[in-house]
Amino acid sequence: MSTAARSSGPPDARKVRDGWVGCGLLVAATVLNLLLDRHVSVTSEAMVYVLALVLASYTLGRVASLCCAIGAVTLLNFFFVSPRYSFRVDAQENLFALFALLAVALVISHLGTGLRRETEAARLNERRARQLQEMAVELAVAALPAEVLAIAHRNLNRAFPGPCTVALLDAQGDLHLRAEQAPLRDGLQACIREAATLGPGTGRWPGLQAWYLPLRTESHTGGAACVQNVSASDNGGREHAQAICALAGQALWRIRLAAAMRDAQEQSQWHRAQSTLLAAISHDFRTPLAAIMGAASSLQTQGERLPPLQRQRMLATILGESRHLATLTDNTLQLVRLDHAGEIPMDWESVEEIVGAVLARVRQRDAAHRIQSQVPARLPLIRADPVLLAQLLENLLDNALKYSAGRIDLDVRQRDHRIELAVLDRGDGIPAGEEAAIFEPWHRSDRSGQRGDGLGLAVGRAIARAHHGELSVRRREGGGSAFVLVLPVEAAQPVMEPA
Amino acid sequence: MTLRLLVVEDDPAIRTMLQSSLAVEGFDVRTAVSISEARALLRHAAPDVVLLDLGLPDGDGSDLVRDARQQHAIPVLVVSARHQEAEKVRLLDAGADDYLTKPFSVGELLARIRVALRHRGTSLPAALTVYESDGLRVDLGARRVEARGHPVHLTPTEYQLLARLVRSAGKVVTHRQLLTEVWGPEFAQHTHYLRLYMAQLRAKIEERPEEPRYLLTETGVGYRLAAA
Repeated sequence: MSTAARSSGPPDARKVRDGWVGCGLLVAATVLNLLLDRHVSVTSEAMVYVLALVLASYTLGRVASLCCAIGAVTLLNFFFVSPRYSFRVDAQENLFALFALLAVALVISHLGTGLRRETEAARLNERRARQLQEMAVELAVAALPAEVLAIAHRNLNRAFPGPCTVALLDAQGDLHLRAEQAPLRDGLQACIREAATLGPGTGRWPGLQAWYLPLRTESHTGGAACVQNVSASDNGGREHAQAICALAGQALWRIRLAAAMRDAQEQSQWHRAQSTLLAAISHDFRTPLAAIMGAASSLQTQGERLPPLQRQRMLATILGESRHLATLTDNTLQLVRLDHAGEIPMDWESVEEIVGAVLARVRQRDAAHRIQSQVPARLPLIRADPVLLAQLLENLLDNALKYSAGRIDLDVRQRDHRIELAVLDRGDGIPAGEEAAIFEPWHRSDRSGQRGDGLGLAVGRAIARAHHGELSVRRREGGGSAFVLVLPVEAAQPVMEPA
Repeated sequence: MTLRLLVVEDDPAIRTMLQSSLAVEGFDVRTAVSISEARALLRHAAPDVVLLDLGLPDGDGSDLVRDARQQHAIPVLVVSARHQEAEKVRLLDAGADDYLTKPFSVGELLARIRVALRHRGTSLPAALTVYESDGLRVDLGARRVEARGHPVHLTPTEYQLLARLVRSAGKVVTHRQLLTEVWGPEFAQHTHYLRLYMAQLRAKIEERPEEPRYLLTETGVGYRLAAA
């Protein structure tokens, strides 16, 4: 009911307005002529009506303009052509003048309304082109199908008196419609099935009062739209609606492609991670297990017959391999945990204290006292998980002890809002081009014959990043490597309570 | 006299290993696989040391720690797998004497048991009033601190902190214990006080504060004054 009123309302109002404007123009011209009557001839009075008709033809519709033309001729005849105040015409010349005026009036009305229609069409086309352009800009940044739906709906509502409906297809091919939109389901599904616009002027389902348009590209349909209360003759409007729907369809296709690409990347990353993990487990975990099982079973079955030295050697193997397995397990778990932890719990910690605790532990494995430490006094406190940082530092120092022979330096420095911890050795250094790769899990560039688990540095970098810091390596001049851990220092330091 | 040791551990392999290696050292080892069994043994077998594994099948180890500390004044050593820092700290706060992280060597375990036994009965009024370890001397009775032969002047807070550590020399004292006992319960979360005061204390006492000999850090857990 309300939609019918909405659609018939504006044209009726316009007809009434045209009628009043036309009458007004004619009355004005007649009054002016009556005022001028004593001073000018009937020819000039006819010109005044022509002027009124020109105005009428440019501002009024075709019918009103025609009525004005006939009215003007009638009024001229009645008021100004003798005999006055009658519709009779006595002179042949005046009759000819009236016919000429009528002809001129009809021609003017025709030209004027034509010109006006073209101007309006040009304006409408310009508005529509601008709307499509703006919509394309909006769609370019839309990242979700729901955003595309909102944009398409808003633009259709702006362009048509409507009401307009837009619905999206989900992955199963079902249309998402609200309860009050359910009656449109058949039409929307039909236009998707036929991959074409249905409704007045399309040759398909012409009896409908609405256009049903698919949101589609060549290869993909993302949904459908319905624009109600339209006319078969509005070809421009239909093309505009189709253009809006095509833009929305392209945007939906782009979003779907992007999502598919992301999924594919994640899948391939996950597969890569899984296969490296499996390869690593099958090799790195089984090797020490094999050694432990071999030595233990040999001790169990042949223990009595083995010389004491060999028994000792086997026990040392079991102990050493178990330790290796323990580190491997810890690092693997730590890496998985850090990868999935998000924010780790942190507290105010002292770098000096963490370094001290790590050195106390590492010194037990540093019989030759190769590690020299430099820790400035009065370092600021940092927000950290001390256990993780200690693990990282211990890892770096153990690596340095393992892969180099000479002196090892542990330098701590404060630079602006950062603290740098550097572990410097004089070993063989990292092979050129492998500076980034050594931080990858299970990476091995080791040619020294030492056995590592390929995880320590990956865990180290994960710990550094969990602290919003960075762990990097560079080659030192004169040989060796420098592992540098950079940690941020918060400007707002905690204060001691006044003692 | 043979010392009696109670091992509370639900994993059979580790339990057997601990039992045999500790028995070799001359301990009389009893084992329990659950809290309830451990409670019964605490009452009837009167052990001298409890070795408590975390994650028992029938409940929380902290109840057992309380029982052992309050009713029997027995030292309790917590044994845990790594990455359970919070759990470890909770049990130490509840009164456990020390902790060991799995995997550990038998040698380390024996050393910890020796320290725990040496300080047996520390829950009774201040057993230790004079701490002396090469170069550092703290006399709690006379309120005097000397490092390398020279008297050290400490602020009241620094002295209280050091005194608290002296009373538990050789054992871990958790952050929470130090903060509540030196500053008060409302400061239990102010770990930065500890960082700052420990730095000052180390600067006054230690020869090389960045590699302390006396005031040792137990990362993520607390502090320990090196055993005298």
